[in-house]
Amino acid sequence: MNRMKAFTLTGFLAFILVLSACSSESGGNSGDSEASEDSVTLTIGSWRTEDKASYQKIIDKFNEENPDINVEFKPSKNTEYNTILNTALQSGEGPDIIHLRPYTPGIELADAGYLEPLDDLEGLDQYPEETLSASKGSDDKQYGVPLNMSTTQMFYNKKMFEEMGLEEPQTWDEFMALNEKIKKEGTTPIALGTKEGWLLSLSHGIIGPAHYGGNEFVDQITAGETDFTSDEFQSSIDAMDELKQFFPDNYEGLGMEDIRTMFFTGDAAMFPLGSWEIEVLREMNPDLELGFFPIPSAVGKEPTITTWVDGSYAINASSEHKDAAKKFLQFMTTEEFGTMFTEEFKMISAIPGIESEDELVNALGKAAEEQSTPYMMLVHFAGGNPSTKATIETELQGMYLGERTPEEVAKTVQESAQSWYEPLQK
Amino acid sequence: MKPATNSNSVVKMKKERNWKRWTIHLFPIPALLIYGLFIVYPLFAALTYSFFDWKGIVRGEFVGLKNFKDLFTLEPFSGLFWNAFGHNILYFVLQMIFQNGLAFILAYIIYKKVKGSEFLKIAYFLPRLLSVIVVGFLWKLILNPNYGALNVILEKIGLEQLQKAWLGDPDTALISIILVNCWYGIGFGVLIFLAGLQSIPKELFEAGKLDGADGLSMIRKIVLPLMVPSFMIMTVLTFIQSFEAFELVYAMQGSQGEPYHSTDTLAIYFYRLAFGGSAGGSTTAVGLGSALAVVLFLFISFFTALYLRYMQKKQVDM
Amino acid sequence: MNHTIWTRPFYYVFAFLIASISIYPILLMILSSFKTSAEIFTSPLSLPKTFNLDTYRNLLEMIPFTTYFMNSVFVSVVSVLLILITSSLAAFYIARFTFVWNNIIFFFFLMGMMLPIKLGIVPLFILMKDLNLLNSLWSLIFMYVATGIPLSILILTGFFRTMPRELEEAARIDGAGNLRILWNVVLPLMRPALGTVMIIQFIQSWNDFFFPLIFITDDLKKTIPVGMLSLFGEYSADWGALFAGLTLASLPMIVLFFIASKQFMEGLTQGAIK
Repeated sequence: MNRMKAFTLTGFLAFILVLSACSSESGGNSGDSEASEDSVTLTIGSWRTEDKASYQKIIDKFNEENPDINVEFKPSKNTEYNTILNTALQSGEGPDIIHLRPYTPGIELADAGYLEPLDDLEGLDQYPEETLSASKGSDDKQYGVPLNMSTTQMFYNKKMFEEMGLEEPQTWDEFMALNEKIKKEGTTPIALGTKEGWLLSLSHGIIGPAHYGGNEFVDQITAGETDFTSDEFQSSIDAMDELKQFFPDNYEGLGMEDIRTMFFTGDAAMFPLGSWEIEVLREMNPDLELGFFPIPSAVGKEPTITTWVDGSYAINASSEHKDAAKKFLQFMTTEEFGTMFTEEFKMISAIPGIESEDELVNALGKAAEEQSTPYMMLVHFAGGNPSTKATIETELQGMYLGERTPEEVAKTVQESAQSWYEPLQK
Repeated sequence: MKPATNSNSVVKMKKERNWKRWTIHLFPIPALLIYGLFIVYPLFAALTYSFFDWKGIVRGEFVGLKNFKDLFTLEPFSGLFWNAFGHNILYFVLQMIFQNGLAFILAYIIYKKVKGSEFLKIAYFLPRLLSVIVVGFLWKLILNPNYGALNVILEKIGLEQLQKAWLGDPDTALISIILVNCWYGIGFGVLIFLAGLQSIPKELFEAGKLDGADGLSMIRKIVLPLMVPSFMIMTVLTFIQSFEAFELVYAMQGSQGEPYHSTDTLAIYFYRLAFGGSAGGSTTAVGLGSALAVVLFLFISFFTALYLRYMQKKQVDM
Repeated sequence: MNHTIWTRPFYYVFAFLIASISIYPILLMILSSFKTSAEIFTSPLSLPKTFNLDTYRNLLEMIPFTTYFMNSVFVSVVSVLLILITSSLAAFYIARFTFVWNNIIFFFFLMGMMLPIKLGIVPLFILMKDLNLLNSLWSLIFMYVATGIPLSILILTGFFRTMPRELEEAARIDGAGNLRILWNVVLPLMRPALGTVMIIQFIQSWNDFFFPLIFITDDLKKTIPVGMLSLFGEYSADWGALFAGLTLASLPMIVLFFIASKQFMEGLTQGAIK
């Protein structure tokens, strides 16, 4: 009996071993055999698993002119992307083309010498300076080709606004009155939850400029002329606190998926989030009539749309196919690519002047050009450890839970920034 | 045994014995090799990181014990350390009570062969089959304040006042995660205890019955002393796992210890320092992270060694 | 005698209540895979309106499930076998002999559980690169064996120590070598413990996603959990599809357990009767 069992087990094992040997060989071959003598294979690393199909179309387009360069888009899970990429880079491996996180994390990789400088790449001069700064090393060399701009603003449900007889607000007071009105109708005005900290720095990026006064304040603080305990910044935190009366029930327990669902199912009228959500919202509810408005200022300035460069593409310094990789990046600076990108991804291309056929995306792109203010925490204050951006996230979360006062939030953010940000150390 | 016929063969036998004795030392070699190469070597190579200054992911100069000093004296690092440490202790205590305590009771019920005990065994073990990511995802949905099954059930049975944003409220977030961990781990406990119970010779129970022992006194006098190895295994494991608690917390709340540091554990804190958090926007502090891992290691190994020593003495006494 | 009669129903209710808590979330996962996002949110407790298999069909078309499955089976089976062999040899040595260094070896093995293995990921990656194991299923197997050894040795050593020595001595007097004693005398008696180790390690190797995430980039070498992870990005808003993916990823393990559990549970009791 026992012997029988042993036999079956050994048989089973042998079967598995043989099977796996076959599968691994066929797997190994298919990769190599296609590559002829002079063709190379490039890999792209990214965190956008959801864009796999769209990237394939881009790659097919690229191959029309460069048939001897195989390109493989190999994304990994968003939350583990940095760990995977850093590990591989530190060991001298990694994809040939790297999707760079914007600003500090990406620049960190450039400063560590893991990226190839791109200064001789044609087409870089078409981007404005702020766009390039997302992937410019501390040595002032350019390391990345900017891919797309992200914007954050208030989305709203057009149908619900119509039914309640509401219009896009032009002043902060109108905005608050509008919230009151929606609340009285028995609907949640703003779909926002505080369970995930990143949503808080993001929404502060939308609401904040209306109170600290947009670009002027950003210029001052990056020059060290004011700080986070100033009245301007304090009022932006106070406003975040005040808005909580318009959040959904149990907002402290709601995360990204929850608030998105609330908005596309019509349980809430407004949704303070980013341009990347358009595609998802439409997919989930094709009937949703989506509108947006820039946040009107509370201090008598222009309304603002918050914008920043969301990702850039760079070349791995230890890649064996740098020339081929450069060809691909070159392609990413062309108008042809920009147009295709806008159409496929429904995002705003970083290449200036690319129009989208999608009305909403187009309008957003226009607004972003005219009324833009940077996502200050990401663009300027993502450094330090823990980063100032992470600090404001935790502190705001503490405020919504009643553990911190708005004054304490501003003070802690100031302390964090002071610990590493040179202009504030004077 | 046949008596040895001549001295020659006795010598031969002895030689053979010696040879056989010597081969026993080969037994742990394969395990030592694999374990040494793939666990000990990389870990100890990484521990040296704690003595260096790090700029992002690039190693700087040797700084001695500076990272350790910073970890305990510099704010917010030291505050976060003790905060997370307290959470690990809570993790251990609650798991001992709700996971191991319950597991023992359930194992005993199954052992007593109630009707349906086959079904029970399988049922308790089912959660352990799932990937931790799946577990985290499922419970996040169940605990969701507005759509989650738990709050809906509470409402249906008229206990609305107990409804909560379970994972969003700092008072309940960590406890919820720990209880989910108990849900996940209870089957393993049942299995270990059951294996322990079943290796108790039946004669002892008969003897106990003759002596007039019943229910509880049977457990106290016969079962518990013989279950020492199972308890030892579960305690050591729970201790180590509680202080290394990472995967489930990460799957349910991410790497920021949200909300407001209320679910931070030492391993989560370590991950955040060494790898820069989950969503990409954070910076790394590899030196501090490694220093934290060293401290964690020293702490766990010290108490595990102490406990094992104590248990061994106890076993010798018996 | 009296109190057992009235406490018994209490035990019953208690045991079955816990059992239903154990099963419920898994049922929820399977049922939700047939629902739409809206249904999941508005009526979390109800049964799905239809049992439509389209979501599953779409998923299976999109991902090379059979490849992932075969990879997972191969990695888990080989890992578990190697763990059982190496750990029982080592645990036998530690538990049944009293060399002065035995406690040190035992503790040395336990140390592996006391550090987060993620700490060593960069040296590990370089090691795998040097051994030419990147993108190979063997990198996973070695990791699962190495990470599985400490727990297995802890469990096996604990149980080896409880075994009566008489049988072993009898075999020794009959002239059996250590290997034969271990194989013929000790291991058959240790079936419950071996079964426990086997199933725990199998699950561990089956469900891990961290190592394949780091070591494997080739799509054809991925295991089920990593293949499933990518679904989270792709279907972040389509909860029905997400649940279908989770179910697909969990089902093989659950089915396997039901097939093996009879064998395995019998093994448990057999060991006790002897």
